[in-house]
Amino acid sequence: MAAALWVAMSPVTMAAETGQSLYNDNCAACHQRTGLGIKGAFPALIGGKMVTGPLPALIPTVLNGRGGMPAFKSDLTDAQMAMVLSYIRASWGNKASVITTVQVTQARIKASAAAKPKNLQAH
Amino acid sequence: MVSDPVTGSGGAFTRRRFFEQLAAVGGVSLAMAGMDALGFGFASAATLPPPLPGGAKGTRIIILGAGLAGLTAAYELGKAGYEVQVLEARGVAGGRVETARKGFVDTDVMGNRQECDFDDGQYINVGPWRIPYHHQSTLHYVRKFGVQLELFNNDNDAAYVYFEKGKGPLAGKPIRKGQIAADARGYTAELMAKVASKGDLDAVLSATDRQTFIDYLVNEGRLQRSDLSYKGTDGRGFDIAPGAGINPGAGKETTPFAFADVLNSKAWSVLNSVAGWEQQRTMLEPVGGMDMIPRGFVKNIPDGVIQYKALVDRIQQNAKGVKVSYTDASGKKAEAAGDYIICTIPLSVLKNIKMDVSKPFLEAMSNVAYAPVNKIGLQMKTRFWEEKHWIYGGHIYNDIPGIGTISLPSTGWHSQKGVLLGYYSFGGEAAKISALSPDERAKFAVTQGQKIFPEYAENFEKAFSKSWHLDPHNLGGWAEWSDESRKAAYPVLCEPDGRIYLSGEHLSHLTGWQAGAIESAWQQIAKLHQRVQQA
Repeated sequence: MAAALWVAMSPVTMAAETGQSLYNDNCAACHQRTGLGIKGAFPALIGGKMVTGPLPALIPTVLNGRGGMPAFKSDLTDAQMAMVLSYIRASWGNKASVITTVQVTQARIKASAAAKPKNLQAH
Repeated sequence: MVSDPVTGSGGAFTRRRFFEQLAAVGGVSLAMAGMDALGFGFASAATLPPPLPGGAKGTRIIILGAGLAGLTAAYELGKAGYEVQVLEARGVAGGRVETARKGFVDTDVMGNRQECDFDDGQYINVGPWRIPYHHQSTLHYVRKFGVQLELFNNDNDAAYVYFEKGKGPLAGKPIRKGQIAADARGYTAELMAKVASKGDLDAVLSATDRQTFIDYLVNEGRLQRSDLSYKGTDGRGFDIAPGAGINPGAGKETTPFAFADVLNSKAWSVLNSVAGWEQQRTMLEPVGGMDMIPRGFVKNIPDGVIQYKALVDRIQQNAKGVKVSYTDASGKKAEAAGDYIICTIPLSVLKNIKMDVSKPFLEAMSNVAYAPVNKIGLQMKTRFWEEKHWIYGGHIYNDIPGIGTISLPSTGWHSQKGVLLGYYSFGGEAAKISALSPDERAKFAVTQGQKIFPEYAENFEKAFSKSWHLDPHNLGGWAEWSDESRKAAYPVLCEPDGRIYLSGEHLSHLTGWQAGAIESAWQQIAKLHQRVQQA
């Protein structure tokens, strides 16, 4: 196959990952880049106990999903999840503490969030 | 009616005669249930709607949603004499059973509006696209409503696999699946056969079993009888195809890959002994689009039963009845009153509607995730996959981020154009790609497909994409239960809360399948009917 026919870059190749780039890639589709969400569909991530409060609620929600939100336990590593959650907790006026990789790992173990092997196809 | 239950020919009551009588009385399914009871091993799938005898006692049911659960409930309850009113948010019935063809419009919560512009006759099923042969509930209505079926190729050894994240010379190359299968199995069988023939497995195999085991491996791996080696096999294809005369004559078989190269490529991750239960090789699809199924329902439900563009605002109940407040198609506030509600609205959307149910019920509802799901149909101006690559239907398994699967159509063979599925992805990958505009999504899909088919970009004409998590009526492709929520929340929601019954694919173990929605509806209407009879 002639390499010249191949387009070099897909729009989603990742450069150096940051909390912001991870957020934009994984979360912004629903919660929006502004963190404002879409009324009636996806909640805003600004303020509120879930986002800025104590950890027990936040990390399991992202790992396992709830109320319509999908689970990201198989899509993000512990380090990536810590980066994106820290970004959210420090953005758009949020002023909550950073989340560490260790905290995510502990939450994952606690939630027994063992990733089930994904089927190659679902439906 | 059975005329003579006992005597067959010669007066003997044979098992065969018994089944024939069953079939005469209760149809094929009753006969099969009888066979199953006697250990003839048919899966105990639900195959028929529940009988609803005894009349409806003037009962009025409000059904929320005209997807497959709502349509099933409306159709069966209507036939049983119930007064039924269906409130559907969209302007058309079918729920997630959507087929995009020319003129089909989709507007998502981000404001992306797409109008499908495929040529006449071309389409893409953006929701369900294949029916397992054992989803007899779905096939019950297919049969009943006279929907024509065709085969859906769910497994094609000639299709390519493409694993760019693997290592070695086979990584990042489109390779026929059958070649990977032949080599992976051949070399593995060779290893096992040689080990077994040396007696190294005698501790686990008896002396007679050793030879039978080797025979099996020779068969399975296409090994040389003489030295138990794998040297390739005709099934993995030919460099020069056999034909007439001396030239090409017998042709020349392809040469197997090196075992290390096959293993390092990771392409073997598409192989398994049998497909998963829901991914069996034999699948079916309606001719002309999956939405032929909801169309069949609508044709067989009296006019006026389903109210379209009705948006539910509030769901109320008390000891005496139910009331649903909604906004009708003209924007006016309206109310529907009745005795019971069957609510098929996905939980992802339902959680935003005020409903008179208990706190534990609401809590249970909040514990369900919904899957982000992406699909894109790409209309191609020639069917290069058939003409140039000889791939007739099936899937191009790959590990390209954001793509999931590329699939070729199982319809319109050898016609000029065709629509292929450019991606089908879930989870975080789907969320990422769905953030792109429809045009950018198409560009992305075409760019990735170009890695596998050099004709891809030059043949691309039009695209139509769907992101189910961005559909305001769904906010997800299907429900995703965790082990925890299945144990705690699911049983709560399977039972009614007062006069309100929930139903849909989410209340089944066939989430995301039409059969899940249909069989959930069957269960709930059976419960409801029994309650009405006993009231």
